[in-house]
Amino acid sequence: MSDAIDTSGAAADGFEPRITAFVCNWCTYTGADLAGTSRLHMASNVRIIRLPCTGRIDPLFIIKAFERGADGVIVSGCHPADCHYTSGNYHARRRFAVFHDIMEFIGVDPRRMTFSWVSASEGSKWRDVVNEAVTNVRALGPFEAYRALAPKDVGVAAPAGPGAVAAPASAGIKAEAS
Amino acid sequence: MNELHELARTLLTDGTVRVIIGWEDARRGARPAFITDPADTDKLIFDTRCVHNLVTYLNPRRDNVAELGKIGLVVKGCDAKAVAGLLREAQLNRDDIVLIGVRCGGVLEESELAEAVALSAENVAPRCFGCDNREPKLVDHLLGEAQPEPPRPIMTIDERVEALEARPLEERWAFWTEQFSKCVRCYACRQVCPLCVCERCVAEKTRPQWIDSSAHPRGNMSWNITRALHLAGRCVDCGECERFCPVGIPLSLVNRKLQQIVSERYGYTVSDDPENAAPIGDYRLDDKQEFIK
Amino acid sequence: MSRIGVFVCHCGENIARTVDCEAVAEALREHPGVAVAEDYKYMCSDPGQALVKKAIEDNNLTGVVIAACSPHMHEKTFRRACDQAGLNQFMCEMANVREHCSWIHDDRGQATDKAIDITRTIVEKVKHNRPLESIHIPVTKRALVIGGGIAGIQAALDIADGGHEVVLIEKEASIGGHMSQLSETFPTLDCSQCILTPRMVEAYQHPNIKLHTWSEVEKVDGYIGNFEVTIRKKARSVNEDLCNGCGDCQAACPAKRIPSEFEAGLGKRTAIYVPFPQAVPNIPVLDRVNCTLFKGRRKGLAKDVCGKCKEACLKAAIDFDTEDTFVTEAVGAIVVATGFKLYDIGRDQPEGLKGYGEYGYGEVPDVIDGLQFERLASASGPTEGAILRPSDGKEPKTVVFVHCVGSRDPEKGISYCSKICCMYNAKHAMLYKHKVHDGRAIAFYMDIRAGGKGYDEFSRRAIEEDGAEYVRGRVSRIFRDGDVVKVWGYDTLSGEQVVIDADMVVLATAMRPQDGIRELAQKLSVSTDEHGFINEAHPKLRPVETNTAGVFVAGACQAPRDIPEAVAMASATGAKVLGLFSADELEREPAVAVVDENTCIGCMRCELVCPYGAIEQREICTVDGHVCGHVAYVNPGVCQGCGTCQAVCLSKSVELQTFTDEQIFSEINALCYWE
Ligand SMILES: Cc1cc2nc3c(=O)[nH]c(=O)nc-3n(C[C@H](O)[C@H](O)[C@H](O)COP(=O)(O)OP(=O)(O)OC[C@H]3O[C@@H](n4cnc5c(N)ncnc54)[C@H](O)[C@@H]3O)c2cc1C
Ligand code: SF4
Ligand code: SF4
Ligand code: SF4
Ligand code: SF4
Ligand code: SF4
Repeated sequence: MSDAIDTSGAAADGFEPRITAFVCNWCTYTGADLAGTSRLHMASNVRIIRLPCTGRIDPLFIIKAFERGADGVIVSGCHPADCHYTSGNYHARRRFAVFHDIMEFIGVDPRRMTFSWVSASEGSKWRDVVNEAVTNVRALGPFEAYRALAPKDVGVAAPAGPGAVAAPASAGIKAEAS
Repeated sequence: MNELHELARTLLTDGTVRVIIGWEDARRGARPAFITDPADTDKLIFDTRCVHNLVTYLNPRRDNVAELGKIGLVVKGCDAKAVAGLLREAQLNRDDIVLIGVRCGGVLEESELAEAVALSAENVAPRCFGCDNREPKLVDHLLGEAQPEPPRPIMTIDERVEALEARPLEERWAFWTEQFSKCVRCYACRQVCPLCVCERCVAEKTRPQWIDSSAHPRGNMSWNITRALHLAGRCVDCGECERFCPVGIPLSLVNRKLQQIVSERYGYTVSDDPENAAPIGDYRLDDKQEFIK
Repeated sequence: MSRIGVFVCHCGENIARTVDCEAVAEALREHPGVAVAEDYKYMCSDPGQALVKKAIEDNNLTGVVIAACSPHMHEKTFRRACDQAGLNQFMCEMANVREHCSWIHDDRGQATDKAIDITRTIVEKVKHNRPLESIHIPVTKRALVIGGGIAGIQAALDIADGGHEVVLIEKEASIGGHMSQLSETFPTLDCSQCILTPRMVEAYQHPNIKLHTWSEVEKVDGYIGNFEVTIRKKARSVNEDLCNGCGDCQAACPAKRIPSEFEAGLGKRTAIYVPFPQAVPNIPVLDRVNCTLFKGRRKGLAKDVCGKCKEACLKAAIDFDTEDTFVTEAVGAIVVATGFKLYDIGRDQPEGLKGYGEYGYGEVPDVIDGLQFERLASASGPTEGAILRPSDGKEPKTVVFVHCVGSRDPEKGISYCSKICCMYNAKHAMLYKHKVHDGRAIAFYMDIRAGGKGYDEFSRRAIEEDGAEYVRGRVSRIFRDGDVVKVWGYDTLSGEQVVIDADMVVLATAMRPQDGIRELAQKLSVSTDEHGFINEAHPKLRPVETNTAGVFVAGACQAPRDIPEAVAMASATGAKVLGLFSADELEREPAVAVVDENTCIGCMRCELVCPYGAIEQREICTVDGHVCGHVAYVNPGVCQGCGTCQAVCLSKSVELQTFTDEQIFSEINALCYWE
């Protein structure tokens, strides 16, 4: 189905969402590799951060991604019972559930946070998860609400800490966002 | 009251404990009292002004309290749950402390009154309505008469959570950003929380600094979500964080929402049974996962 | 200050077709902390690797990022190259611009932008990588094998032959397991005892094997290479060093009517007994539950009422007052081979199982299970190999064999196929027909599952050569009707109700894990499936490992297994153990968690979630040695590097070395779209 999706063009108003994905090494990362080996084309808006296990994923990662301007996040790992480390994903599932529910309570649209189980053999599911997340977030528009929290004076400076980053490659995207 | 005085006196005289932590009458209201002299035990009180959760003094990082010696602590039901929390997380030895439970009929929202007054819908601490632990079980001594149910506040916490949830996402976001924006990052909520006992709170961690340290809306959002999440399945609903928050952020609403989440999803309610495993750190194979694709 | 080298691979055309590799290198050259950025056609080729190595040396690089394929593809290759160039291998990471970029996009501009982002993220990560050294763990080159069935014996022999000491423990009085009870074995019909007994003796006499029978595992501490196992040697009442196996005690024992476990209840034994004549070791145990003397003691009688065995024993080997003793063995690896038990369908059922009351097992004496048939058919069994039915000792002329009793019946609690029953039913039908030429052997089956070398031929032979009658369908009821056992069944092929007046019925009951397996699994920190079989680490690729390093699994305790499979698994565990013992130290990747003792408060939330039990509480002391608190400690020998502990630690006081918070934080920051 995804090939039908317009993976190249921006939406009418030119907004292209930026999505950060936190995925486990053994299932989803490998599933995304498989999507690659199978040449399954998909939207190019997602940037993957590889973790050993969903068990390693902390809500702070997601908050930080929003703080740094992500319009949406994807969190994905091994299906229940398939965790490389047996139970990391079960623990993660509880933390994610609580995080998901409280963010919704605080007023974050849950469609900005995609949680999924994608196994190493589900390259096409990964493509669908990516495309669907992009479509959803594109429809929601930029996450201005979160960005608006940034301190006005330092709004655009890199946060303290080593390795301040140069301008992003996706320069075209930047313009519409601000 | 005599019961409490006598017990305290005995415990101090026979050397069972070195200090009794309870409440005393200050001129403008009830306040925590540290009684080390058996002669002073008559100062102890328990009435509707005794809102403070004294378990915060059991924080193993509070060296000055520990220096006083073995503690006898007066606890209400909600306080006893906090003791259970500390036991569950290996922050306390049951043998190192004597727990004097008091039967509770609810407390006031504020302790600052010259005299105890009867509870009413207007003045009751909202959390007391529907409290399931007015007779603490995790105690060595249980004092006082059985108490009547606390009155229903004008609006219960559940009703307030529900009312907020009925509003659209954008309004909730506006509500919370406004609330959290007020935060001055005094960390009083954390300081007073009986379960925020970390040696170095994540908010103070610098490498990396997950949470911006200055008081501006972005860091405040991160701090407040994190604080609430850290108490998920641990918060005992003693209401101290909200009571101490100098800018009046309704922290008990987030706390209550989290209680509802763990209860709906995992059937968990916080109790004063230390053996009752906390929901985060535990799992069931068939935990609900409707939000996961 | 970081000096990072970035190497962008074209992968022939695979990356370069959609990603402008030069532009990526160009962009990264401008990135803070990047000392060199180059692109090349094939980075993984020898010249490609040489380029990386040279750049490391020339520029004194502190980190390397290879923007190429998936780390699953070539991370090892490039890490090795860095290592050769003198850069710690953990300072090298891969940016996946092929699988995650060039292969899934076609817009060159977008793909190039994304490739730049991906590479920058990894550069930011590498800035926080730390040089790590592999972890070395000493290995105790001794193994423990739990369970002395054919699987355990084989594993013990293989390891012992490999030159290492083995401690073999068996909870019964003799090793041998179920195989010792079998008459003849499919698919060759050779005598079970004849092939097993030499193995048992070999294990017993092997200089490298230390055998503890009548023993169980009490406690397991430690981890791979360094386990400490406490073994409970149950009170035997017979001194193993003195006893010479003469059997005088058995002859003297007055309690002679105890149902023999070995004979599956069809024969009797004494209270002091050797379970079967070929038992290894040939040393009796005293069954205190049934012993006359102990019965008397339990009643509180002042004087012992028996003691005949002790009087009969010329070696003075019997002592009624021995108690359980404990021995501790240090081992480096553990093989679990506790086998199976048959589903005891008649009696009380454990939770979730419904039993087969309708089959009359346990009530109708001539309804027996497969093991009982094995004993009837065995030359050394209670009937000396004559097929005689239990109720009246007559030769049954019609025998019904029922397949899948308990297996493949999710309604009744067991969904799996026990796998061996089709084969042993065919064997039983054959053995019966060989002994009772004019008898009828009728088998009710669901499907015939005879996958295995020579297996299908074997079960066909039962039908085609030995004339066993196979009825496809299930049996609904079995009951006694005067002298016959009525079998109501349904033939699904003809669609007809079938009623058979049988003389004897043999039920092929399901194979289930041994009692106590869950407790044992817990002691070993391995997991079991819903039925209680031990879980293997990976169903295909790691079939004899468990998810606890250093603990292996063989035989029917992992799933229903026949002898060839049990033996194959056992030898596989042997190979795994010998592999582990081939070096003095175990080398492991340093992908482990480490606790910051300055901030850890010892709340032990991390311990709750660690899937491997790698975390324990440890006391910390002040400089003058006073215990002043406790913190968590991660055992690097056990930690597998999932990082779950770190995510639940509220104060972030435990950190996974290869995925630190700083690394992830920097990656997220690198994706900042703001500047
Ligand atoms: C009726 C029947 C007929 C069969 N016929 C054949 C055949 O013809 N051909 C064939 O290939 N297979 C046959 N099998 C299958 C065969 O019996 C098994 O494949 C084989 O016995 C499996 O060996 P094992 O060592 O894994 O388990 P087991 O034989 O069950 O041995 C396990 C051993 O571990 C001991 N043990 C258990 N728990 C503990 C503990 N906690 N601590 C210490 N020791 C413990 C037990 O006492 C036992 O000695 C048949 C099975 C049955 C039921
Ligand atoms: S919450 Fe319960 S125990 Fe605590 S003060 Fe209110 S009524 Fe008393
Ligand atoms: S907010 Fe979290 S990290 Fe900070 S003290 Fe409380 S529990 Fe510890
Ligand atoms: S007490 Fe209130 S103002 Fe202070 S840190 Fe907590 S929420 Fe912020
Ligand atoms: S969870 Fe963190 S603070 Fe608690 S014991 Fe583990 S490392 Fe220490
Ligand atoms: S990283 Fe995983 S395996 Fe290692 S100690 Fe932490 S939870 Fe256990």
